[in-house]
Amino acid sequence: MRSRSAEGAARAQRLIAVSLIAVALGFLLVVQLRSQAAVARTLAAQDDTSVALLINDLNRANNELIQQGAALTQQEAQLRAALTAGGADVQAIQKELTTLRVVNGEVPVHGPGLQIRIEGTIMDFELQDALNNLRNAGAEAIALNGQRIISSTSVQSRGNTLLINGHAVSSPLSLLVIGDPELLGPAADLSASSLQTRVQVQISRQTELAITQVVTPRPLIYAQLGK
Amino acid sequence: MTVLASVSLATFLVTSLAATQFRSQPLPPSNRLARDEALRNSVNQLEDQNRALKGNIQKLQGQVKAGEDESAHRSSAVQQVKAQLDDEKVTAGLTALHGAGLTILLHDGTDPNDLADRSLGWTIHYQDLQDIVNVLWASGAEAITVNGQRIVPNTAFHYAGVNILVNNASRLSGPYTVTALGDPSSLAGGLGNPDQLAELKSRSRIYGLGFSWLRSPHLSLPAFDATFLVKYAQPLG
Repeated sequence: MRSRSAEGAARAQRLIAVSLIAVALGFLLVVQLRSQAAVARTLAAQDDTSVALLINDLNRANNELIQQGAALTQQEAQLRAALTAGGADVQAIQKELTTLRVVNGEVPVHGPGLQIRIEGTIMDFELQDALNNLRNAGAEAIALNGQRIISSTSVQSRGNTLLINGHAVSSPLSLLVIGDPELLGPAADLSASSLQTRVQVQISRQTELAITQVVTPRPLIYAQLGK
Repeated sequence: MTVLASVSLATFLVTSLAATQFRSQPLPPSNRLARDEALRNSVNQLEDQNRALKGNIQKLQGQVKAGEDESAHRSSAVQQVKAQLDDEKVTAGLTALHGAGLTILLHDGTDPNDLADRSLGWTIHYQDLQDIVNVLWASGAEAITVNGQRIVPNTAFHYAGVNILVNNASRLSGPYTVTALGDPSSLAGGLGNPDQLAELKSRSRIYGLGFSWLRSPHLSLPAFDATFLVKYAQPLG
């Protein structure tokens, strides 16, 4: 276990790193950050930078939602066409099933992305921050040293050991991420810049990489369907 | 097209802000007020659009599901695939769930107004939410929401300036409520473990930041309010 003061120092470092990440652009001033969390999180009280960043994110999210709507419209049309013709389109349902299996991390996948190699010890929250940045940049599949990672995968430190869903992984860490390399790259750079003071980070863009590990869905024991 | 104009303005602001700041030449007050108002108006419009798009997605999801149900009645082959699909929807968070679990309440503490303490430790950060969610998963949570937003496989928490965003730019503001389904004792044990969330607990003591939980035999969690698109990851083989 780390001592309390070491943890405190590491957390403080994280807060600083986080404040920098918050503005998404490395060159924005600390002066500005100082007051940012102090303002109420209502629009009226926000500085222009926060509002501008919010507009960027909303714009990106709305574009994504428009694409989701278009995909659903197409799927419904496909299902309806088959039903009208007196049959059923099993392929339309199969396609959605495959998408969800990929999202849930239950099938091996391949595609373009990043390989991130980290040499040295990092803490659970540092990995969490990196995973968060990558997901925010549209990561579709992630694996670390043979462990597939989705948002419900727990990441914990036991001393200097990193546990992924209870499985120990050790340096060098190899993080494989599938998604748009153009978006993932800057997100990985941002995480690397806050880690690189202590550990070696190498990021390489790949046109093709494979993630063969899968997640087994957790059974529902306490949760029941419906409201 | 004021939204488009404001989006361009926002992009311009983000990219040029540092330089503007260094120059430190304030705009005339009247200009600044107009610009501030334009920016805030576009946030409101974009958030309205965001809600409308999600509403539309949920409507379409209902129609797709009706089509799937109808298709499943046509053949047993389709019925089998449909049964698998329904399981995957539950796993992905696309289904509302209810059951026993834990409700966690969080709120900002008091600003110490201490020049020697610039840590901002008195506020809840997105990392606090992320850490709590992580401990809940590790303690056997079966489903989680944060302020009503379902945590799904690709959920990311994120700062846009002072705003905490999750799932397609849903803006979260305090006080925060995290709801988890699972064995209440196991979930409470995870949060209560002195080795977990030690830093958040110490900030709670120092700044009066609120961090508490209560067990409940019946909690209701909404489904994810959007869907998933996979553009790059292809199944192997």
